[in-house]
Amino acid sequence: MKKYIFILAALLVCVAPRAQAFAAFACEPEWGSLLHELAGDAISIDVGTSALQDVHVIEAKPSLIAKVRRADLVVCTGADLEVGWLPQLIRQAGNPKVSSGPGYFLASDQITTLEKPSKLDRSEGDIHPQGNPHFQLDPYRMLVIAKALAARLGELDPAHAAQYQQRLADFTTRWQAAIKTWEAKAAPLKGRKVVVHHLSWVYLEQWLGLEQIGALEPKPGVPPTSAHLASLVDLTKNSHTLAILRAAYQDPKPGDWLSEQTGVPAVTLPFTVGGDERSKDLFGLFDSTIDKLLAVAK
Amino acid sequence: MNWQGLELSILGPACLAGLIVLSTHVPLGQQVLARGIIFIDLAIAQVAALGVIVAQYFGMDEQGYGVEIAAAVAALAGGALLTYTDRKMPEHQEPLIGTLFVLAATGSLLLLANNPHGSEHLKDLLVGQILWVSVHQLVPVAILSGALLAVMWWQRARLGGPLFYAVFALAITASVQLVGVYLVFASLIVPALATTGATGVRRMAAAYAVGIGGYVLGLVLSALLDLPSGAMIVWTLAGCGIVGRVALALGGGRAASSPAPASS
Repeated sequence: MKKYIFILAALLVCVAPRAQAFAAFACEPEWGSLLHELAGDAISIDVGTSALQDVHVIEAKPSLIAKVRRADLVVCTGADLEVGWLPQLIRQAGNPKVSSGPGYFLASDQITTLEKPSKLDRSEGDIHPQGNPHFQLDPYRMLVIAKALAARLGELDPAHAAQYQQRLADFTTRWQAAIKTWEAKAAPLKGRKVVVHHLSWVYLEQWLGLEQIGALEPKPGVPPTSAHLASLVDLTKNSHTLAILRAAYQDPKPGDWLSEQTGVPAVTLPFTVGGDERSKDLFGLFDSTIDKLLAVAK
Repeated sequence: MNWQGLELSILGPACLAGLIVLSTHVPLGQQVLARGIIFIDLAIAQVAALGVIVAQYFGMDEQGYGVEIAAAVAALAGGALLTYTDRKMPEHQEPLIGTLFVLAATGSLLLLANNPHGSEHLKDLLVGQILWVSVHQLVPVAILSGALLAVMWWQRARLGGPLFYAVFALAITASVQLVGVYLVFASLIVPALATTGATGVRRMAAAYAVGIGGYVLGLVLSALLDLPSGAMIVWTLAGCGIVGRVALALGGGRAASSPAPASS
């Protein structure tokens, strides 16, 4: 009997500190990576989705509910990107800490989004009324979000607030230096034309000065018609297009088809952390994205 | 192994949803199998989805009961059409069901060219997410299932006729939105298929046991192995079906000597 009590006590000692550690749940890998930059190994971080899946839709697994249930902070993109599953996940988890208030952090609330429609019209496709939610590829917006997230971590976990601010300062220095390097490197991309699969690259295009001349999905979420494809082939062929862009999770077939018709290379970009070998963190994500674009620009 | 998902409050509502779906689908599945029209659930589900998309095409709100009513009306219309074809051309019933399925599915695509938001409903209707089920969502389905079970019991002599298609259409429309087409198909067909060796009450009891075993085991395994619950349950249902079949065969010697009333 004593032996069992001892084992139980030993288990409790092992389990207790883990259970008390501040726990964060990130909807997408880029926020998991940002949390790691700001908190290191001091908090436990669960990431709900991977770079190789379409975050508009996910499969429900029991562990997902369990992770949100024990989270102190949920970090998601917002702008309706996760509207198909996050509300249900939060509801099923029944965790008041993250259902609203400071424990519910939406990156889209910290920045202004692009492509916010002036009017809502269904005929325009699967438009997000709160603007385009794919802003993780804008390094400046990322920095704004990092500042807000560090402040939020400090608010929820005041004992380590100074540590979060210190790591934020360190991240800011490295990030701003990296932005300079990326911008210098990406200078030849300025003004180059691209065709995209889904309208998920507007922030990257705006930052690097790429010009988007067409999209395989003319209206987001709606498959293209044959007339649209015909005009897209002409446009792509005749405008000295740099590349056809798609994310790691997207079906390569439409892009490959257009590439074959036009001779313009199709490029698979990581899109978020984990999207390819080099994108192990946020820095790797931007390094890889820019290098892959430069590779076709030569 | 992953123990954190193994919580009654996470798996409980999903399990309850499974039991409600099974309550009507086990008896209906035996009818479906006897008639040899196993793809009817896919066809009816697609017709219900088409109904939702048509309703939205004409400007109906996405939320609320309007969508549910549109789905039910479309499913009932599909059921009526299949009743008619069953009477006129019974020998072609299965190919007609297949044709209805592809027409409804592609009809949705044509309408969706101008209404992309309908695609979310279409996906919800087809894939379903059993883990997202909330208890208050189960109440209307439980009431409907109870009513359908009562009708099936009272009118069991007439269940062979048009009544079958009406009951079936309503049951499928409700269950597909809860758990999705894969699970609906498995809940209908697997318990019925596993128990063809038995008859009457014995068959019904065995079929319910297979169904309940499949859902409970599937939910537990999906938590332990951290896999999507719906897909896992389909596989455990099939596993329980095989076990049930073997168990019935082993115990079959005794049953054969005392023939049960033939009322499958």
